[in-house]
Amino acid sequence: MKRFKNLLQKEVKELVTKQLIISLAFTVILFNSIGQISKKEVQKAIGVQTISALDQDGSAGSQALLKSLESARFKIIDQSGKNKDEALAAAKAGDSKLLLVIPAGFGDSLAELKPSEIETYSFMRSFSLIGARGQVVVQSVISALNEALSNNFLAEKLPGTDPAGLKRPIKSRDFVVVKDRIAEGSANTIAGMLSQQSMLIPIVLMMIVIYSSQMVISAVAMEKQNKTLETLLTVPIKRTSIITAKMLAAGFVGLISAGVYMFAFKGFIGGIGDEVSSAGAKAGGAALMAKLGLTFDTTGYIILGISLFLAILVALATAMILGVLAEDFRSAQNMIMPLMFMVMIPYFISLFADINTLSLPVKILVLAIPFSHPFLVAQNLYLGNYGMIAAGLGYMLIVFVILVIYAARIFSTDKILTMKLRFGKKKASVA
Amino acid sequence: MSKVLTVRGLKKSYGSQTAVAGIDFDVRAGEVFALIGPNGAGKTTTLRIVATLLTSTAGEITFLDHDHRKEPDFVREKISYLPEEAGAYKDMKGMDYLRFMAGFYARNADEEKEFVDRAAAITELGERLKTKVGTYSKGMTRKLLLARALMTRPVLAILDEPTSGLDVLNALDVREIVRRYVKEGTSVLLSSHNMLEIEFLSDRVGLIDKGRILDSGTPEELKAKHNAKNLEEVFRSSIR
Repeated sequence: MKRFKNLLQKEVKELVTKQLIISLAFTVILFNSIGQISKKEVQKAIGVQTISALDQDGSAGSQALLKSLESARFKIIDQSGKNKDEALAAAKAGDSKLLLVIPAGFGDSLAELKPSEIETYSFMRSFSLIGARGQVVVQSVISALNEALSNNFLAEKLPGTDPAGLKRPIKSRDFVVVKDRIAEGSANTIAGMLSQQSMLIPIVLMMIVIYSSQMVISAVAMEKQNKTLETLLTVPIKRTSIITAKMLAAGFVGLISAGVYMFAFKGFIGGIGDEVSSAGAKAGGAALMAKLGLTFDTTGYIILGISLFLAILVALATAMILGVLAEDFRSAQNMIMPLMFMVMIPYFISLFADINTLSLPVKILVLAIPFSHPFLVAQNLYLGNYGMIAAGLGYMLIVFVILVIYAARIFSTDKILTMKLRFGKKKASVA
Repeated sequence: MSKVLTVRGLKKSYGSQTAVAGIDFDVRAGEVFALIGPNGAGKTTTLRIVATLLTSTAGEITFLDHDHRKEPDFVREKISYLPEEAGAYKDMKGMDYLRFMAGFYARNADEEKEFVDRAAAITELGERLKTKVGTYSKGMTRKLLLARALMTRPVLAILDEPTSGLDVLNALDVREIVRRYVKEGTSVLLSSHNMLEIEFLSDRVGLIDKGRILDSGTPEELKAKHNAKNLEEVFRSSIR
């Protein structure tokens, strides 16, 4: 145990370098700063916005429209007295996001219940998504005004009739059924919430797998490059202890690095996401999910945790073997690619398709990749497919055991010194 | 003199390529036994097998009456191996490297200190031991590694080309250190293609070429047998 501790300490010290700490601190600071900047931009976009208005009509109807926009948190710069070109130039020169032109006759058309036209000129000074938000809000104000005006008209012409009922004679009540539970709500809402939640699993998994695997591969390759491996293999410590110490250290440092990275990422996303999505919609979706039993209890979280843990172990064991194949640190960097692909394949498939409904050969192929299973755990838990979950966990465990036995075999035999994979050469060669 | 190591019929092949073609030799307690021969003769492969890094294709090795193949952990407790192209962890300070390596052999903190102090004395690096290994010259690194190999007073030190790439003064230092430790009881199995160095260092010599031992004995015996002035002439006479 003393020898193992000695080696583990060395492995951790070797991985926790000044460069790693600086790069992690830099990531946290950078992402948080970007998050804060984005937050301010979003607040600006959804806060009071300046628009210019050229009211060529000056009727009660046009004034009502401008008042409605003011109450929708727009600061309106009046361009009255100018022609359209002058107003456009003035608005463009200022900081207006948009110029609204209300042509003459707008109010009369409204009164006569004829379609009334307005013109909007959006100034695209940036091409970010939130840059175009001004026009979206104006459109929604106009749509609300249209709704109110047509309701007034209907109420006037057909007293005692509900305008809403008249405009939408068929009203659907939507229900979602999951297993034996039924709740009123939209299937789209559920799908949206689930995809938002399950997006986090692949990101976490990818981060940890990439960080940890890179560390294991580098740890083995560096021993080769520094010519320290031969000495280490002749000291009185079991070869399995060497593997375990390297995997444990890389797993530990990889987890912390991924945790820090996720924390920084949350700071970045939090800057945008929290402001944009409506809290009410979120709460409604969450209540619907709860009604349908689409929430994790403690057991669910434990199963998800075990699944992620097994995936990390598989990645570490694979990385250990790939590390032996690498000749030096540089070739070790290339060795990470196959692992990254193995994580990315199920990730991209799960983005665009349901793994469970793929054709059988493709499904077998995807399920053969151990990293596919953590992606499926969440939906299998929701749908009560416990057999699939158990099979997935069992499969990952078997793959891990086989890989560890193989890694131990490599470390216990000549292969540790003779196995090499040179890029650009056709096959593994013997030293 | 009792035998520390007995090697019989040792063979090592990589596929159809034979590196060691059946060799026999012994290392006795408190002696330096040297394998000498040209590059590719099988010296390093033999040393790697004895150091438990490689497994033999055939043959038997007995170390302190223990079966070498069956008890590699026992062997690793008692030997130390200095590979020809060995390195140390470049980001570690010299002293930390010695402490790290001593941690595998010492049974307690006192013993660890004893090993590290001994190694520090061998290196003669003084304050430089507080700096990173990456800043050392080749000679300094080699002395650090030799100190690591000898600090535990192993039963058998396996040294592959111990002075390879060193200047004359550093090579002399290394040879003197090895002789000193042999006097204190450590047996040494070493390899070199520098036959003059071997003549100075070794008690007995095995001449190896193409994976076979051509002849063995003390340098004096070999010189007399082959009517040669030095080991280089002995080697030339052996391969003819």
